[in-house]
Amino acid sequence: MIEIDHVSFRHSKADGPSLRDVSLTIADGECVLLCGASGSGKTTLTRVINGLIPHYYEGDMSGSVRVNGLDVTGAELYETARMVGSVFQNPRSQFFCVDSTSELAFACENMGINEDEIAERVDEAARDMGIEDLLGRSLFALSGGEKQKIACGSVSALHPDVFVLDEPSSNLDLASIEDLRELLKKWKACGKTLIIAEHRLYWLRDVCDRVICMKDGRVGFDMPMDHFASFSEEEYRAFGLRSINALTLFVPKERNGVQEGSRRMVLRGFRHSYGNVEALDIDRLELPAGEVIAVVGPNGAGKSTFAKCLCGQQRRSKATIEVDGELRKRRQLAKSSYMVMQDVNHQLFCEAVDEEVRLGADVTEEEVAEVLGALDLLPLAKRHPMSLSGGQKQRVAVASALLSGKDLLVFDEPTSGMDFQNMELTASLLSSLCGKASVFVITHDPDLVRRCCTSVLHLEAGHVKTVIGGR
Amino acid sequence: MANSVLMIEGKRSGLVLDPRTKLLLLLTMAVFGLGGAGSDAVNAVLPFILLVPYPLLLLAGKWKWALFGVVAYVGSDLLMHYVGPLLTGLPSFLLLGSCAILNRFLPSILMAAYLMTTTTVSEFTAAMQRMHVTEKITIPLSVMFRFFPTVADEAASINCAMRMRDIRFGGRNMAKTVEYRMVPLMTCCVKIGEELSAAALTRGLGGVVERTNICRIGLKAQDIIVMALCAVPWVLLIIDLINGAFQGGLL
Amino acid sequence: MATQDRINGKDLINIGIYAAIFCVVMTAIAMLGFIPIMMPMLAVLCPLIGGIPMMLFYTKVKKFGMITIMGIIIGLFLMITGMGYWPAILGIVFGILADLIAKSGAYASAKKSILSYATMCLLIFGNYIPLYTNITEYFSTRQSFGEEYIATLTAVMQPWTAPVILVACFVFGALGAIIGQKLMKKHFEKAGIA
Repeated sequence: MIEIDHVSFRHSKADGPSLRDVSLTIADGECVLLCGASGSGKTTLTRVINGLIPHYYEGDMSGSVRVNGLDVTGAELYETARMVGSVFQNPRSQFFCVDSTSELAFACENMGINEDEIAERVDEAARDMGIEDLLGRSLFALSGGEKQKIACGSVSALHPDVFVLDEPSSNLDLASIEDLRELLKKWKACGKTLIIAEHRLYWLRDVCDRVICMKDGRVGFDMPMDHFASFSEEEYRAFGLRSINALTLFVPKERNGVQEGSRRMVLRGFRHSYGNVEALDIDRLELPAGEVIAVVGPNGAGKSTFAKCLCGQQRRSKATIEVDGELRKRRQLAKSSYMVMQDVNHQLFCEAVDEEVRLGADVTEEEVAEVLGALDLLPLAKRHPMSLSGGQKQRVAVASALLSGKDLLVFDEPTSGMDFQNMELTASLLSSLCGKASVFVITHDPDLVRRCCTSVLHLEAGHVKTVIGGR
Repeated sequence: MANSVLMIEGKRSGLVLDPRTKLLLLLTMAVFGLGGAGSDAVNAVLPFILLVPYPLLLLAGKWKWALFGVVAYVGSDLLMHYVGPLLTGLPSFLLLGSCAILNRFLPSILMAAYLMTTTTVSEFTAAMQRMHVTEKITIPLSVMFRFFPTVADEAASINCAMRMRDIRFGGRNMAKTVEYRMVPLMTCCVKIGEELSAAALTRGLGGVVERTNICRIGLKAQDIIVMALCAVPWVLLIIDLINGAFQGGLL
Repeated sequence: MATQDRINGKDLINIGIYAAIFCVVMTAIAMLGFIPIMMPMLAVLCPLIGGIPMMLFYTKVKKFGMITIMGIIIGLFLMITGMGYWPAILGIVFGILADLIAKSGAYASAKKSILSYATMCLLIFGNYIPLYTNITEYFSTRQSFGEEYIATLTAVMQPWTAPVILVACFVFGALGAIIGQKLMKKHFEKAGIA
């Protein structure tokens, strides 16, 4: 049983508290969905349960948290670890070892369990999770979904009673989310207690039986899943949540009578192989220009390679694009295109927003002001780009691309880990680019596609499976 | 292919040595090959010590490294013999200096290459633990090996981002180039590092109990043989030292 | 908490992360100077650029031992990559010294941090020691080289260059630390990672 008693917490660097007097009891074997907008306190709540607060993230904390009688606030993290297993959002950053077998054994090794027993537990965890084929592999060579399974297996090998998952689906494709769902169901069937903080809700409908929605550091509501699932779309929206009935199909935005532009672009020779493995093989493809095109497909479908070719960043690529009768080869593509990376931090270099957007661009004050204004960045012009929120950083990256005269923008999973409201903001940002640039959005997010993409390019095994819309 | 300095996956063929044996080899090479310890007796066996990496690399199937060693060695020798005399002044100095440094470090670097291309990170950590090296060293070391590919990945992404923005500087703007690379690199690495810490700590790293390690390593016949070979220069060195002390005492 | 002064898991991971960044920077520079004669540049560029990650690391240091371990880890890394055993020995020595200097400033003094990091940079000198020790003896085993060659070589490896390199490590270490602290104010504090 988890007892959270009058817990408040304020990060040492934050202005306001992220938890305000929260009291909750979670019974053994309960599966709880924690939802709420970004900054509502759901991640903070997971951290007080696994002890990262106050032991890792420092700040002012009051109240007490007990898991099966263990005082988590007082106990050391390695004591809590036996009781509470944690899985995090980013599959890339949460593994400690470099190979999968060591990773599965890692938690047990830390506990000083003897080698033979660990070997048994690793085998057992691999069997239960269905990841035997991943044993003995380099973790750097696994996909996000596979890494997330290893993360679950590693935690599972320690046999904790409680599992805390903080946005585990953020970086996963739809198929991997399905796998994760099956895995959670197995834990549930074993009588484990699950606490899952998430923005994407649809996949947890038959996993969780209780929903707690956080709002401004407090419990907004706490109700059975059946009740939550019967909300109307407006009610989800009112709480800033994504719908639990979300589509899992990629359907483009309805055109609502808006005429499709007459501009077309023709992509030719999008081919690349890594060694003997063919990653991408598209001979010719015609798409509308100046619109927002979603690029979807499972991991390994060739989306990233496609994006690299688009941006002229793939070495020896013979890919060309013909727009308005002008043929762009690799060099011209590199000049005219820009990718907004999944981790936007990679592309912010300067100490102020206005300086950042001017870097490498030869533009006048007026042009800068116009673009910044259009992207709502004027009030932030003097801020350090790295101090902005995720969505604001994206807009800075877009502004710098537009100002350096790029008219082909590629977004790499712009909404992973975003809540409903931020996702909508990104969607309207993308929509606003219509006509100014041809936009490609690599995404696993059907909600985003439905809101802003006018066509959907579905890749599979390096080939075009379908193109929806844009005809 | 992610480069973690050491290997990641445990695929190998040929002669397999325990990481401890390889560390002893590396140390021996460093002390006698690169360090030039010992006097006449050691110097007599020195050429053999310097050749040790070659059979090992070949036995482990790393013939490319062995070939590199031979080419670098013969190449620098030829340069010194045939091109060296033709040059005078500064170019001669540069050539001789470069070749000498290469010659000097080559055996040691080949030995290091042998260690790095035949040892996995987990084997290395296991070996450190078996040698009772404190966790205060083994934990940062394993984090470091884990983090190398991450730093390289982040650096590659930043490079790509800089190319897309067409940020290129000539020699005059070294400072800016370094700043533009290091600032995002640090920010990204530190953020990933924080998440890594959190994930490791919630799985019990840093507890009071002694860690165990499932990686199976052990000394086999071939290890004993190689260790015995390594012992030769050490014994000679000790004899040298005792002799020296003895003579010193007599005088 | 009673365990406040003990180095814990979080500290050890931090050491590993910053050591990795430092070593990658060092390797990247070593690649630039792959022509061995560029080796002296290592003594200039490594301390200079390494100051950026290291100053960030110093903001995380609150306990005695962390800088020592950092020195040892960097020394070990150099040894594993074939630079001999001297970096490992100097790593321990200058690691402890650097730690003591930073400790005297309670791990909060900017000036002491500069001095401490500059001291740690002296471990880079370990890479060069084999070039100065027993050089004639070493090459005497290669009779084919001839006396003349050895004479030229000893001329190249003038002993006076040793202190120059040592001083360069220290001076550029101090400079690197100052740059690191500048960038900290300019970027890292605003980015919320310092």
